[in-house]
Amino acid sequence: MLVLVLGDLHIPYRSNGMPAKFKKLLVPGKIQHILCTGNLCTKESFDYLKTLASDVHVVKGDFDENLSYPEQKVVTVGQFKIGLCHGHQVVPWGDIESLAMVQRQLDVDILISGHTHKFEAFEHENKFYINPGTATGAYNALDSGVTPSFVLMDIQATTVVTYVYQLIGDDVKVERIEYKK
Amino acid sequence: MPQTQLSPQEEQEKLLDEALQVVKVQSFQMKRCLDKTKLMDGLKHASNMLSELRTSMLTPKSYYELYMAISDELRHLEIYLCDEFQKGRKVADLYELVQYAGNIIPRLYLLITVGVVYIKSNESCRKDILKDLVEMCRGVQHPLRGLFLRNYLLQMTRNSLPDCPPNENPEPVKEGEVEIRSGDIKDSIDFILLNFAEMNKLWVRMQHQGHTRDREKREKERQELRILVGTNLVRLSQLEEVNILRYQKLVLPGILEQVVSCKDAIAQEYLMECIIQVFPDEFHLQALNPFLRSCAELHASVNVKNIIIALVDRLALFAHRDDGPGIPNDIQLFDIFSQQVSTVTQARQDMPTEDIVSLQVSLINLALKCYPEKIQYVDKVLETTVEIFNKLNLEHLENSSAVSKELSRLLKIPIDSYNNVLTVLELKHFAPLFEYFDYDSRKNMSTYVVNNCLENGTEIPMAEQTDQILQLVSSLVQDQADQPQEEPDPEDFSEEQNLMGRFMSLLNSDNPDQQYMILNSARKHFGNGGNKRIKFTLPPLVFSAFRLAFRYKEMAEEDDKWEKKCQKIFQFCHQTISALIKAEFSELPLRLFLQGALACGEVGFENYETVAYEFMSQAFSLYEDEISDSKAQLAAITLIIATFERMSCFGEENHEPLRTQCALAASKLLKKPDQCRGVSICSHLFWSGKTREGEGTEMNGEEANPVRGEPKELQDGKRVMECLKKGLRIANQCMDKSVQVQLFIEILNRYIFFYEKGNEAVNVQVLNQLIEKIREDLPELDSSEEMDQINKHFQNTIEHLRLRQTSPESEGPSYQGLEI
Repeated sequence: MLVLVLGDLHIPYRSNGMPAKFKKLLVPGKIQHILCTGNLCTKESFDYLKTLASDVHVVKGDFDENLSYPEQKVVTVGQFKIGLCHGHQVVPWGDIESLAMVQRQLDVDILISGHTHKFEAFEHENKFYINPGTATGAYNALDSGVTPSFVLMDIQATTVVTYVYQLIGDDVKVERIEYKK
Repeated sequence: MPQTQLSPQEEQEKLLDEALQVVKVQSFQMKRCLDKTKLMDGLKHASNMLSELRTSMLTPKSYYELYMAISDELRHLEIYLCDEFQKGRKVADLYELVQYAGNIIPRLYLLITVGVVYIKSNESCRKDILKDLVEMCRGVQHPLRGLFLRNYLLQMTRNSLPDCPPNENPEPVKEGEVEIRSGDIKDSIDFILLNFAEMNKLWVRMQHQGHTRDREKREKERQELRILVGTNLVRLSQLEEVNILRYQKLVLPGILEQVVSCKDAIAQEYLMECIIQVFPDEFHLQALNPFLRSCAELHASVNVKNIIIALVDRLALFAHRDDGPGIPNDIQLFDIFSQQVSTVTQARQDMPTEDIVSLQVSLINLALKCYPEKIQYVDKVLETTVEIFNKLNLEHLENSSAVSKELSRLLKIPIDSYNNVLTVLELKHFAPLFEYFDYDSRKNMSTYVVNNCLENGTEIPMAEQTDQILQLVSSLVQDQADQPQEEPDPEDFSEEQNLMGRFMSLLNSDNPDQQYMILNSARKHFGNGGNKRIKFTLPPLVFSAFRLAFRYKEMAEEDDKWEKKCQKIFQFCHQTISALIKAEFSELPLRLFLQGALACGEVGFENYETVAYEFMSQAFSLYEDEISDSKAQLAAITLIIATFERMSCFGEENHEPLRTQCALAASKLLKKPDQCRGVSICSHLFWSGKTREGEGTEMNGEEANPVRGEPKELQDGKRVMECLKKGLRIANQCMDKSVQVQLFIEILNRYIFFYEKGNEAVNVQVLNQLIEKIREDLPELDSSEEMDQINKHFQNTIEHLRLRQTSPESEGPSYQGLEI
């Protein structure tokens, strides 16, 4: 089961679109679910995700106007309970212990958050945390070296294999991280 | 007398069947006689068979079938005659003899058959016989019969035409010798041109026969027969000795004279295209002027546009061919076409405007394909188009009109072929053509331009170009005098404006000073976009300005004025965000002010603390004055606190009022649970919130430089505890028990957070108290899905504590005495 995880597109405020090399990789019909950490900002961006997979979950980012996006969401994929939250509400931003509070509240195996525009995937107290970074490489005042990135999760029974795609220079680099329940 | 009434089609079939029956019988007899070497009898039957072609009853289609059947049978006669002559029979006698056949149609067909055999057996008389035959065919003036007869002549002579250069210095004919008159290429050209002219006349005459009500049917029949006339041109093109020179001097002038003088639209249109198709491109290149001049002289109803476009397309393809020689340097292809097209346009006053524009389309294609590096040619075409429109006094071309469509096509060509809007901007006459469109077309073309920029990632590196392009696509940037009264569809409108927002990020120069000018230019255009547009276009501008400030910071060493410039940039941002407030937006400017404060603090130019404070206080004003929905209030104050927590640019004298303001605002939230959560989050400001020590001065020679202390976390454990205790008090006031317990668990988690961070004001006793309270309250809750979630939350929290208790982190605090 392939799950696309991405967010913080910030189109058009901070970026004019996803890198062409990412778009080429993301073809319709291969991905079953999309989990978006927010800041799609426009309906066009949401419609684009809809062309890749019919099951799209989005939470509200600080620059999303769509009132129907929730602040947090829990999605079950296979044997995994996955929590989704943009992260601008989690103080201090990107802090592991603060994120762990959200994980405990949502009671999830995997917590996905964004906002920092920096890819991360790590285990903490037997739970798995993913931040897909920004799919467009959008500006962040607190980080001058933003790299465009997104994550694909391959979920099989009790194992999640996470592939992170990063656009470094002109090349897409892929890294693989495994997590077992 | 027909017994029953037959339909015209059945009538035709019947007539054709009868004729074919006669052909079958007579050809059988002919072949039998020839087998018995009874030549005279054979010729008699052949003549009977050929008499069927005298009919006027058949349609061109049926007549063609009959003609094919008969010419097949005539092959037998031709073969027999060839054999006979090889055996020594005198051909001349026979040539005379068949002239006595009673009727002209059989006579001429037989004459051609015998004549060609004669030529084959004796080349010396070729020239005379060819001339004789082509002249004698004049005897048949009925169009259909004449066309097929001459077609037979053309078919039969196809391998017998002389194809050698003329003998320049013929030896004088000596006495007693017979002059050899086998002919040369000139005779062949004369022969075909004469045959062509006669056939064309017959073909044109068809148009004027019969009743006017049958005109449509007649024109259809003419179209069916056109290939017979065109075959003459094919034959000319197949002659080896028709080279460029002879084409220029003899062939083309001969054809064109006939084409122009026949004054028949169907013939002219077909034959001009036929010329283009059958002769090689190298020939066309050397004879452009006469050909194009003739175009101007054609009948008014001829579609000259199509003819010229066909020629241009062929030559453009030829110029583009990899293995071809390209366009010779001495041929000014573009100038010739440009001039001739204008002559044609002037000569034909009634030409529809869209056709005039179509011609310009083909010219622009020619310019781009043959001379890709010469943009002045493209501009010349656009200039001509402007002149045409001026002369015709056209404006506000309707979106759906043919002229508007052609003009769009014209303008899209340079966009698509350069794929670089900067090159398009160099075309001086490109933008003026936009003025002739109506609102919808202008908007469509503008969208096309902007999309092209985005697809190709074309960056606009100069303020002047920014100005130009935003002027060009102004229908997407500002209200237009001619826009429709009704409101646009909101979804279309936001899609269109998002496109402009995305375009903002392409306005980009490597030079920061230039970038600043670009932003100012963009600000002028977008700033006048009206309240509905600026929501989409100003935020990208603000972010672009933030990025620019960071760039100045990076090059601080190279530019000693960078701090002043940053100050100006943030002023620019302040004004731009304020424009959104004036347009009665609140959420968006609030978030932009927070982003501005963050950026300001990170860039750290001179005076940045004051500017950052101003941005924060603007965010607060918006929060207090404009945001009334309680859910939006909680979201906004959370974002203000979270942003402020990350900032490290303030001295105590600025930090203190801001954090007090945060705490105050949080405690003033309407709903108790919101208050509780707001106040709890504030606790972080007193722990990881950062201040710099007060500004002192340090004397450096004569100058007094400010000293900036390193940012330091407040780590005020007591104030943290006060926040959390206040949170607990507010939670206690909640009437909804399950919400209350939920809030207790959240506060417990914050206690744990600070305990683990080393806040000594939080101790195991405090934790035990709260845990016990939660344990007492939990069983009182009604069982529900919500209660399950609360339970899980608590279990997870306890699980965390247990984990830390059993395997403590080396630096973490001890959980000794915790009761779990």
